[in-house]
Amino acid sequence: MSATADTFSLSSGDRRPQPAAIPWRQWLIQKLLYGRNIDRGAKAKARIGLAILAFATVYAVIAARLVMFALVANSHNTHRVVSGDAVATARPDILDRNGEVLATDVRVPSLYAEPRRLIDVDEAAELLTADLPDLDPKELRERLSSKRGFVWLKRDIAPEQQREIYHQGLPGIGFLNENKRDYPNGAEVSHLIGHVDIDNQGIAGIEKWLDGQGLNALHMAGLATDRLQNPVQLAVDLRVQHVLRDELVKARAKFGAIAAAGLVLNVRTGEIVALVSEPDYDPNNPSQALDPTRINRLTTGVYEMGSTFKAFTVAMALDSGKITLKSSFDAREPLQMGRFTIHDFEPQHRLLTVPEIFTYSSNIGAARIALASGGDAQRTFLDKMGQLDRLRTELPESAEPIVPKRWSALNTATIAFGHGLSVAPLQAVMGVAALMNGGVLIPPTFLKRSEADAQKLGKRVIKPETSAIMRYLMRLNVEKGTAEKAEVPGYYIGGKTGTADKVISGRYSKDKVLTDFMAVLPADQPRYLLLIMLDEPHAMPETHGFTTSGWNAVPTGGAVVARIAPLLGIQPRMDLPTADQQILASARESR
Amino acid sequence: MILRLLNFVVIGALVLAAAWVYRIKFDATVQGEQLAKLRTEVRHQRDEIAALRADWGELDNPARIQALADRFLHLKPITPTQFDTLDTLPDRPTAQPVTASSDPIGSMIENSAPPEAAETPTTTGSIPAPSAPTAPAPPGPVNGAPRQ
Repeated sequence: MSATADTFSLSSGDRRPQPAAIPWRQWLIQKLLYGRNIDRGAKAKARIGLAILAFATVYAVIAARLVMFALVANSHNTHRVVSGDAVATARPDILDRNGEVLATDVRVPSLYAEPRRLIDVDEAAELLTADLPDLDPKELRERLSSKRGFVWLKRDIAPEQQREIYHQGLPGIGFLNENKRDYPNGAEVSHLIGHVDIDNQGIAGIEKWLDGQGLNALHMAGLATDRLQNPVQLAVDLRVQHVLRDELVKARAKFGAIAAAGLVLNVRTGEIVALVSEPDYDPNNPSQALDPTRINRLTTGVYEMGSTFKAFTVAMALDSGKITLKSSFDAREPLQMGRFTIHDFEPQHRLLTVPEIFTYSSNIGAARIALASGGDAQRTFLDKMGQLDRLRTELPESAEPIVPKRWSALNTATIAFGHGLSVAPLQAVMGVAALMNGGVLIPPTFLKRSEADAQKLGKRVIKPETSAIMRYLMRLNVEKGTAEKAEVPGYYIGGKTGTADKVISGRYSKDKVLTDFMAVLPADQPRYLLLIMLDEPHAMPETHGFTTSGWNAVPTGGAVVARIAPLLGIQPRMDLPTADQQILASARESR
Repeated sequence: MILRLLNFVVIGALVLAAAWVYRIKFDATVQGEQLAKLRTEVRHQRDEIAALRADWGELDNPARIQALADRFLHLKPITPTQFDTLDTLPDRPTAQPVTASSDPIGSMIENSAPPEAAETPTTTGSIPAPSAPTAPAPPGPVNGAPRQ
């Protein structure tokens, strides 16, 4: 090395200050290497120096490559270990609010073949079909004789099958461990949680929402292969969910309804504690989800909610100050609106006060209240309550409410009792929750949320005093009204029933109805709102031939409350005074 | 002369450096392999935990528990009347006078027999006998009698 340095110093010492006109490269070539009038010794030294430079460069490159190989070889090795499994995306676990597993990844072996490396296709096909009888032999042979480098033969095989195929020692047949989504609770949380496709990509429900939260990008970058992601905790309580589903399945079977749905919402935080839409499906078997009767009726269906909308009508009129609890309205005659006549289900043929309109569920009364307030006020109020726009939650599926294009007086009258405006049931629940919780509209969520966060998100829609009056009316309706059958002593339930005639081929059907029931518990210090909805319940001997909500959805709601209240930590209080003392009087005192 | 010595020193240093680098490299390889092995093991353990948790979730599913309870247990759903608050809990009974007798249980029965007989059902088993710490219960009858 020292010799090289000498040569260089000599040659560089040899360089004379060059003439300015000629560029230095030209000077180097002409004068030093090939110039005729240059000393031969100096020329030789310069040439040797050049050769040394060239070789040194080559060796430096080789050395650098060696270092690179030494570094890269290591990571290459570990990479090969990892690629032995993990083809499908790893997904974070999904837990309920108490930490119970709702969805998790398990590793399952999948069988693949490399047809180019196969020696005897016939033998391989024969042996494989012997072990995996459910493989189609013709298709298998086709796949094995293809010219491709890699084909999947069967995803998700049992460990004992893997062992047997492994022991056959077929060349070109191998296994990859893949993540497979497992839903230990089966159909219990189906609509809420959604499901994934064969490559572990979320295609419905919370699973799809997760993909939208950047998991997809992680997977594209090849990073989401290991189980290192934080679990996602939902607001749902598995026990409450189970009770709700259990009761709804029973109710659906008992009343022969084509569908039943239910929802439990925390009115203070907007958390959805349970959501069931029967019929549902098993997310472990997602092909069932394609059946259109198994849609999530609470978010993707829109329905005329019937009399539960009277809560909005009454709240609107009370909040604007146009009416008070003592106001009364004429319900002596059916209300004539052009070609249409609005009847009451239980006609009283007299003047009704506002609480009576609510507890008798008088359509005429509600229509008159709405007409007195005016269509514009109704429209503005319903818009404020979030009933006219599409409600978006974490669930990707949502439905646009069906709002009349022209808001005529007839529309005003019918919407007052929940006909002529179709909303997603979750949307209606959100609105009624705002009427109950002191007047704050909180967007519902499937994720855990604290009360403080909810208050930040919420916006005030009605006065707290109006909310207290609405709670009084709800409670009154259970004490002496259409929701009497929901009473469970000790839990102070308040509730409003709804029975909507279904629209069959453009006309309101006489006998097909959708019944729903909204219950608030406890009515004096509201914490949870429960919705029960039955689609086309049938009349039974014990319902005396009635199909109205009070005979089917309401008792179901009572049964659900009796079971979920202990789970939700609601303490039973016996011997509470009636609604006018417990809610109205205390609201007046606090004012 | 000095140059030659220097050459030998440099050659020696080169050999040493090469040996040292080889050792480090070898160590690093061993460590790397161990790391990879541990990583694989951790992953396997995690997978196994996940599989067990999935199994547990299946076994712990409320629907399954309910079916089993309906079949094997004679339990009924809890009703609101079965709840009570702490402030309605009866007071702890006043301390019994401890007698010097060798039979503490017998003396307790004697002390509380006629007048407080009506009240005994309200005292529950969770209230310890006041004289329990002073004298150990006679072992024979307590252990033997109820089992046979």
